[in-house]
Amino acid sequence: MKVGIVQFLGTNCDYDCKYACDVLGIKSEFLWYERTDINGFDAIILPGGFSYGDYLRAGALAKFSPIMEAVRDFAKKGGRIIGICNGFQILIESGLLKGALLKNKNLRFVHKEVYLRVEKSRCLFTKGLGNRVLKLPIAHADGNYFCDDDYLKYLLDKEMVVLRYSDSNGNIDDKCNPNGSVYNIAGICNENGNVFGLMPHPERSVGDLGKDGELIFSNLIGG
Amino acid sequence: MKYVIVVKPKKTILDPQGKAIKRVAERYLQKGIKDIRVGKYFEVELEHEDDELINRLAKNVLSNDVVEDFEVLKR
Repeated sequence: MKVGIVQFLGTNCDYDCKYACDVLGIKSEFLWYERTDINGFDAIILPGGFSYGDYLRAGALAKFSPIMEAVRDFAKKGGRIIGICNGFQILIESGLLKGALLKNKNLRFVHKEVYLRVEKSRCLFTKGLGNRVLKLPIAHADGNYFCDDDYLKYLLDKEMVVLRYSDSNGNIDDKCNPNGSVYNIAGICNENGNVFGLMPHPERSVGDLGKDGELIFSNLIGG
Repeated sequence: MKYVIVVKPKKTILDPQGKAIKRVAERYLQKGIKDIRVGKYFEVELEHEDDELINRLAKNVLSNDVVEDFEVLKR
């Protein structure tokens, strides 16, 4: 079992993701963005950072990288893909997840620890975590998830909303929404649950730094 | 052939940048402004006219149709 960690120009959470895999004893390797085949990998991580300097729109240029064609095929075949922060933005721009990530409502770069309620969803990365409240760090300027009412209804009907910003007891209101996201959404998955995008950084909550990130990362390799 | 592509947030999308600029501009001007919305402006030059290619560029690269509209102008 081997996890691929994609490195785009401007990715900066790649080594954090590798560290998280190391802590959990998961074998991992970096994948340069110019690669066109990812055969032999069991899961793919699109890490955070500022691919292409966030030029045009966050994630908009990375989606045209050679490796993304292979990532799209991998997703179609049911391979597990997690996109964290900028990785989430890339998944959205690539159409592997739907909606948009707009500038934070308060126009600030927010960096702090937040509480997240794990929703009952089909996401493979949060298996067995339903209704738990996780504490993970966020650090982003464009994390304001947007979709129209019809698509939100679709996300809810299909159980594709995975994480929502909450308080420490799992209560959800505007006060715990750090960026203006629709329905306090922090993470969503696709129809098959194998592609997961989230703004919080689970890789920064492993080992001595916390345990909640490990709960998500341990699902990179699934049964 | 020169084209200009203007990308702007859809009317239904909140534009916090525009709101922030509006607030500051009103303070500076000491006058009310009805609305400011922020978009992007691209100048694209082609050897030959190709409207189909420009539309593909505008739709699939320069804008995100979930939240933005675009307009193509010829110069």
